[in-house]
Amino acid sequence: MTTALRDFIKNPTTAELELVARYAMQPEDGRRERAFLAFAETGLPHRRMEAWKWSDFKAALKALETPASASANDPVPHDGALVFRFAPTGFEQPKTLPEGVRILTQPTTQALSGAEDVPLGALAAALAGGGARPSTMVIEITSSDLPRLHFVFDGAGEASFARIIFLVRSGVSLTMTESYLGGAGFTAALLEFNLEDAARLNRTIYQRGGTDEALAVTGLINLAANSAAVQTTLAFGAKVARMETRAVHQGSGAKLTLNAAYLSGKGLHADITTHVRHGAPGCVTRQLTKGAVLDGGTGVFQGKFFVPRKTGQHTDADMQHQALLLEDGAVVFAKPELEIYADDVECAHGNTCGALDDAQMFYLRQRGIPETQARAMLTEAFIAEALSTADDSVRDVLLAEAQNWLSS
Amino acid sequence: MDCCGGTTEHDEDCDDVKVKDSIDAKTVEAAKALESENYSAGFTTDIEMDMAPKGLSEDTIRYISAAKNEPEWLLEWRLKAYERWLTMEEPSWAMVRYPKIDYQAYYYFAAPKAGAKYASIDDVPKEILETYEKLGIPLREAEVLLGVEGAVETAAEAREKPRVAVDAVFDSVSVATTFRKELQKAGVIFMSISEAVHEYPELVKKYLGTVVPQSDNFFATLNSAVFSDGTFVYIPKGVRCPMELSTYFRMNAENTGQFERTLIIADEAAYVSYLEGCTAPMRDENQLHAAVVELVALDDAEIKYSTVQNWWPGDEDGKGGIFNFVTKRGDCRGDRSKISWTQVETGSAVTWKYPSCILRGDDSVGEFYSIAVTNGRQQADTGTKMIHLGKRTKSRIISKGISAGKSDNTYRGLVSVNRKAEKARNFTQCDSLLIGDRCGAHTIPYVENRCASAQLEHEATTTKLSEDQLFYARQRGIAEEDAVALLVNGFVRDVLQHLPMEFAVEAQSLLKVSLEGSVG
Repeated sequence: MTTALRDFIKNPTTAELELVARYAMQPEDGRRERAFLAFAETGLPHRRMEAWKWSDFKAALKALETPASASANDPVPHDGALVFRFAPTGFEQPKTLPEGVRILTQPTTQALSGAEDVPLGALAAALAGGGARPSTMVIEITSSDLPRLHFVFDGAGEASFARIIFLVRSGVSLTMTESYLGGAGFTAALLEFNLEDAARLNRTIYQRGGTDEALAVTGLINLAANSAAVQTTLAFGAKVARMETRAVHQGSGAKLTLNAAYLSGKGLHADITTHVRHGAPGCVTRQLTKGAVLDGGTGVFQGKFFVPRKTGQHTDADMQHQALLLEDGAVVFAKPELEIYADDVECAHGNTCGALDDAQMFYLRQRGIPETQARAMLTEAFIAEALSTADDSVRDVLLAEAQNWLSS
Repeated sequence: MDCCGGTTEHDEDCDDVKVKDSIDAKTVEAAKALESENYSAGFTTDIEMDMAPKGLSEDTIRYISAAKNEPEWLLEWRLKAYERWLTMEEPSWAMVRYPKIDYQAYYYFAAPKAGAKYASIDDVPKEILETYEKLGIPLREAEVLLGVEGAVETAAEAREKPRVAVDAVFDSVSVATTFRKELQKAGVIFMSISEAVHEYPELVKKYLGTVVPQSDNFFATLNSAVFSDGTFVYIPKGVRCPMELSTYFRMNAENTGQFERTLIIADEAAYVSYLEGCTAPMRDENQLHAAVVELVALDDAEIKYSTVQNWWPGDEDGKGGIFNFVTKRGDCRGDRSKISWTQVETGSAVTWKYPSCILRGDDSVGEFYSIAVTNGRQQADTGTKMIHLGKRTKSRIISKGISAGKSDNTYRGLVSVNRKAEKARNFTQCDSLLIGDRCGAHTIPYVENRCASAQLEHEATTTKLSEDQLFYARQRGIAEEDAVALLVNGFVRDVLQHLPMEFAVEAQSLLKVSLEGSVG
């Protein structure tokens, strides 16, 4: 098997061979195999693949190694939350769970549809588990009256893989947060959200990573009729970090808000990629991504709205990406894409990219505010809009983290 | 049968497409007028042709080169390209689907038997003259257009109108180039590239392949190997070309490919406006058109390049039609130079075309204005690339796509800013409109910014400029939607109306279109 797989990935790199070896140690399972084969088809995604042209994992991840830098501290409060922790070798979860949340840690893998579209999500599905870690963690939510669920990904090690599936039952609201704090050389996480009719999700993601770490977070969101999901991301990047979301409107009247802010400094690369399929009539999508990049940093935004024939009629979708290049040497790549086959829809997209407004800077400076501080103030005001959708319990924390970054 | 009133929810064969109310009726009409059944240029001309042997090999290239009596260096150049082409793969990233092309099934050279170039109007075969007449090229003024002595007085009337010098390319060869003598007085060189190779070898050698290198992409490399004819233009320093220049491309022979190569050089502070038009007969087979256009603008020069592309699009079931795989690129090599591309795309079964600007000189300007209309089963993947290299370079992209029938229309564009392109600016606006629910409209804009002081805007209504303009219009009592239409559509319409479109009826009718009710 291993030999065959080795042959399957063309000219495998050291990292790819190590991933094959990790897969060989997993228990045999047809679904796991299918997920790994989906990954093996391309190997680690690289710049010759259209969807990865600006985020080359093959080049960035030469081998699986424990990085020199330790995990960052988690600014997201743990008090009052149900905390789950995934580390390269360990796993922790609350000792007791309130009514309304049920966890099924399954020994076998769940099938992952569309695995070919998300090679690193497929990799997470294939390699999750081992030791105390669940292969697939299925969380069923049946009550809106729950504390916030918080998922932490940290701890030192070569690599960390996780897969979590949420079932949010009809009419139920779920608030959850995730912190990706670095520490592992390579982290791949796959989170799937199935929202039943009129279910609600508020998801907030905080990400921090080192200059020798690779991270891929893949989120799949399925929205049934009249359900609503709000997602807010604050990403600081890693050597290469991809925060990818693929959402499907499956029932009419569903509403999706996808907001993100990336702040990328020297040696760091933050990629926000989204794909929304408007597969039911009359669905609404609002997307706002803001970015600020310093010398030596890279920001990537790739957004796509897909509106199929007939089922996509009366879609109302808006995608905006705005980036600030704060210093020379900053780099921003963007691709806000529309693919539309239905004629009675409105899909807007906008994309701007530039420096801070000179007039605004002058205004602040003539009032005696030093340049660094003025720049931080303006950038904060610029970024804050995208973070306004975060849950009340974490919004101020995210803003404070953004402020710290801007004024340091 | 009243197919739309039937009980079935959706009838695939139904001809009447339900168009949503917000779309302007004139737009629907204008798009309908472009359906293939209304294609007026689809006739064939019966004329004896000299053809290269079918298929592509080193021998074909030697045949073409020998037929044109080319110097050795050019043959070597072609062979080098061919060798490279053999190692390349046909690109598949565009949003178009078509049957695999058999490159051995085409004739790569077809010329009227009577010879390529004619000394006087009398020598031009009657069939060819009639062809151009039928296409609406004003050939009754042919004596003037062809620059034959003694004819000037008879066409005093014609001179009062703005005149256009025409290079007429029929299949693989240029058959006539008009106004040459008069242009020569101004120092302007306007001739077929085959002639230029002999008359101005140094100029050709200096610029050929410097904007689109031989190995640029699959189709450009193929063109480098087998290009047959095309137009060569050189505008000397400080000269404003006294008239519009144009090339009219006509594909006639069956199973041929047309591979022309156009090279336009505007020397320092020169100006030229150039228009190309294209048509082809209705045939059931697909025909290949792989052209290369290279523009070079030196310091303070300006080139305005307009295209009215109306190749045979194939019938409504997608049978036949031209594969239009074209590489067009302008190099703003000099400071303060400007290159402007305007295209009206209504023809071809498959279009793969991205007229681009390399903004190398400081303060140089690139512009791209495009209207693409697809009908039937047409597929268009078109757009532009603006590569900002020089300081304070500016570019503007305005693209309008209209899809009807079962067609697909894709805008694909790249704005790339080099880290040294301080204070570069770009503004992009692209709208698409779907007429009916069986077509598709796609927008794929790429932005790569490596310069902190650059300002790039893509359809951003939040910019100060448009906000002020909008406020100005609104305080005068103009509704917001109308104001936006005035500012954006009005602007594009204005540009199109300034196009030299004497012989482009289809483009005129497009001016009626409005992008109200657009989807994205």
